[in-house]
Amino acid sequence: MKLDLSEPLRYLGVRGEPDPALLGELSAVADRLTRTVEPRWVWRVFRVKHLFECEELEGSGLSLPGTMARTMLADCGQAAALACTLGAGFEAMLRAQQARSMARAAMLDACGSAWVEAGCGAAEAEISARFPGLHLTDRFSPGYGDLPLELQRDICAALDAPRRLGVQVGDSLLLNPTKSVTAFIGLSERPQPARIRGCGHCALAGSCQYRKEGKTCGA
Amino acid sequence: MELDFLYNGLTILDGAMGTVLQRRGLPPGGKPELLNFTDPDLLRAIHREYIQAGSRIICANTFGANALKLAGTGYTVDQAVSAAVALAREAAAGTGARVALDVGPLGELLEPLGTLPFERAYDCFREVAQAGERAGADLIFIETMTDLQEARAALLAAKENTSLPVFVTMSFEQGGRTFTGCTIPSMARTLEGLGADAIGLNCSLGPDLLVPLLAELCGNTRLPVIAKPNAGLPDPATGAYGMGPGEFVRAMLPLVGSGASLVGGCCGTSPDYIRALARALEGCLPAPRAYRASGFACSAMAPCFLDGVRVIGERINPTGKKRLQQALLEEDLDYVLDLAVQQEDAGADILDVNVGHPGVDEAVMLPRVVKKLQSAVALPLQLDSTNPAALEAALRVYSGKAAVNSANGERAVLDRILPIVKKYGASVVGLCLDEHGIPSTAEGRLTIARRILDAARGYGIPAEDVWIDCLTLTVSAQQGQARETLDAVRRVREELGLPVVLGVSNISFGLPNRAAVTRSFLTQALAAGLTLPILNPNQREMMDAVAAFQVLSGEDAGCRGYIARFAEAGPVPAAPAAGALTLEEAVARGLEGDAGRLAREALNAQDGLSLVEQRLIPALDRVGADYEAGRAYLPQLLGAAQAAQAVFEAVKTRLAEQGGAPVKKGRFAIATVKGDVHDIGKNIVRTVMENYGYEAVDLGRDVPPGAVLEAVREGDIRLVGLSALMTTTLPAMEETIRLLHTLERPPVIWVGGAVVTPDHAARMGADYYAKDARQSVEIARKVLGP
Repeated sequence: MKLDLSEPLRYLGVRGEPDPALLGELSAVADRLTRTVEPRWVWRVFRVKHLFECEELEGSGLSLPGTMARTMLADCGQAAALACTLGAGFEAMLRAQQARSMARAAMLDACGSAWVEAGCGAAEAEISARFPGLHLTDRFSPGYGDLPLELQRDICAALDAPRRLGVQVGDSLLLNPTKSVTAFIGLSERPQPARIRGCGHCALAGSCQYRKEGKTCGA
Repeated sequence: MELDFLYNGLTILDGAMGTVLQRRGLPPGGKPELLNFTDPDLLRAIHREYIQAGSRIICANTFGANALKLAGTGYTVDQAVSAAVALAREAAAGTGARVALDVGPLGELLEPLGTLPFERAYDCFREVAQAGERAGADLIFIETMTDLQEARAALLAAKENTSLPVFVTMSFEQGGRTFTGCTIPSMARTLEGLGADAIGLNCSLGPDLLVPLLAELCGNTRLPVIAKPNAGLPDPATGAYGMGPGEFVRAMLPLVGSGASLVGGCCGTSPDYIRALARALEGCLPAPRAYRASGFACSAMAPCFLDGVRVIGERINPTGKKRLQQALLEEDLDYVLDLAVQQEDAGADILDVNVGHPGVDEAVMLPRVVKKLQSAVALPLQLDSTNPAALEAALRVYSGKAAVNSANGERAVLDRILPIVKKYGASVVGLCLDEHGIPSTAEGRLTIARRILDAARGYGIPAEDVWIDCLTLTVSAQQGQARETLDAVRRVREELGLPVVLGVSNISFGLPNRAAVTRSFLTQALAAGLTLPILNPNQREMMDAVAAFQVLSGEDAGCRGYIARFAEAGPVPAAPAAGALTLEEAVARGLEGDAGRLAREALNAQDGLSLVEQRLIPALDRVGADYEAGRAYLPQLLGAAQAAQAVFEAVKTRLAEQGGAPVKKGRFAIATVKGDVHDIGKNIVRTVMENYGYEAVDLGRDVPPGAVLEAVREGDIRLVGLSALMTTTLPAMEETIRLLHTLERPPVIWVGGAVVTPDHAARMGADYYAKDARQSVEIARKVLGP
């Protein structure tokens, strides 16, 4: 896999055409990461039970309350729970880089964020391949929209993420290693529209620099 | 417990507990330890089934029975452990099967991966181990570890607080590393050194994928080896494990053939698997093993076999280095880390670490430095101290197998140092001198080397862990001694076969063109058999000489390392026309090396303070203004900050040489609040502010409100920055602010971080909100002065 640099550039706040020196350095950092990074993921598919108060993933211990889960899974008989991480190796690399160059560490951090997203994409492709004929919804994660962040704990437990990925959930529901993502994906018989991308679903919409300039970040 | 059986035959262990319980109704995420109270019959039944299937050692249901995982369940560790061990004992009664206290990971990551201190982890494991022994466990089985440091904490706690045998297994991925990057040789040699009774691999993979990993493990330990793999890999769609009992057992046989002698199963296995395994192995004996005896040092991530020349970097030693002395006195560990990073990047294989200086408490500083270095540098360390308390404190927290520098031939010294070396499984450097001084002949030094080796063996330290320093004397003072040293090197290699250490730089002291003499001596010593030169790896010509030697000796097969070394250097970048680059430009363009050089030149004509005020700060401000205007971005802002750091370093070095007071503006404290483990944003702000000359008191990440209060009160700090990344940690930020406001003279507080908004800041009672590092500098200027 090769990393699309537009994402890390966006995370770094670079707008417009980047300076060639910056781009060169960023692509060197990205290449070094690409040589060593190994996004790992686990996913499992559960039957969805549509209840009045929540969407329940049968046998997983997961109940998803709120409008987002209801909307996303409305059409879905099954749903995947997914966790993806760059692991502690990335953290070590980032610490080592911070001891050398903060500028490159910031680039590495941005590339890491892009890579974990890429890992989620690869996991999604794997799910899609495993269920030909079914259509996948957008990924949606605890802490976004009205899906409670508290689900981090349950999703990691359901996937045995501490043991299988080395991902821990802290007291404040942050994941460690930090470049880790959990998400749900609905599986439906019918094609699914894109629903959750865009500013309406973003917690930062109020203070976003792009929006102030009348643009979007593209996510 | 008699351990003879471990060496005389195969031992059948049990299979999974967690996945068996899930199959029998435990919901995912449910705590199996609670079943010790709610369904004891089920547990007794599972234990009995395993024993009937052939298990000779069963693990009590205590995998997560530690204080951290039991928090909130209403049960104490002692209750959970004694109930579980009692159930296993009841099941084992009259069968001859042994009961192991099962010890899994604590469920929180240790420093530096997470924020759990080593000492706290040790205390948690001690509580479990002591409860297990009280409850009547026959042995302690530490398993499914992925962090070597956590495995060490558990093993040390078990060894120091119980008299039970201890088994340790870790979980490796197919690539031969754990999730945290630990390698198999690092794991094997560290845990054997620390006194484990058997070690092995469990969980993560099926037996088929474990074959190469197990073979590597067997080559790296003399201990009995355990294999407890999963029943293949789980199907992601359903969670079901892939291998049935028959397939599992067929795949287990090669593991036994490679040397595993304690075998069982992990996730997905059941009593059926163990029954099939016990039948298949009936009457089998353990396979013969071939251990690779070799000098060795490691961190968790970087194993270093001494099967060729390995360079020990000498820079972390305050003798004659004013700047390092000052850093140690000021507890500026970042400077020490910087020295380590430079040597790692220059190609050192091991780093010597010496923090001995008047006014520095080595027993406190050495372990702190070890933790700091291991947070960002992978190289193994050689702990250089004569203070036993400092060595013990540092070896305790050192993750991996360290070397200790040094002991010598004096009996009292050997008796002081060797027991510590043995306890922590380190290697030891023995200097060829004793209470009578340095023998003037090679023969005399060899005699002392022999004495050191015998003493080490007497303490149970294997020969390959004894490194001999034949001692370099200054050739300008004792000219005949160079030859004696080279002879001693040759004879120690030939007659004792031990790794040989020499600090080579000393040879040329007092002579002009020292590098020529040192390099020539280095080459001759290497030819005589020197394996561990201690030198300054930043001197390129020394490292070139080592690289050339490795080509000539054949160690560098196909000259690949040598070619790569010079290929990496690449074409020399075109230097800007002489005089073209100004200090200001170097800073603005983030040219660290040039900025440092130009600053050193400028300091010949200008004092440090005015250089900073009149040239550096205005240059930084221009970059800052570009950043605000969207003409420059974060990496460029940070690049400039780094170049500024090089300027500051030049100023500090000059001042340390002249004995002057350091340039310092006001001090600020900065922390990522409790619950938040993301700290790169905070580190970025800190870097930029420091390079405006403000002094940072970095409290780290996941900092409890009380700790911020304490630091502010103790240091009388007037400006405090708090960072939070997630909405869930905003309450901790608010609480920290509330606490700080209880001080009689509260500091000025500014806040920032991804989710923090000016509104939040105002509502929480912060004095300022900063959206980035640049605004933070402006706040510092207002509060602390420009």
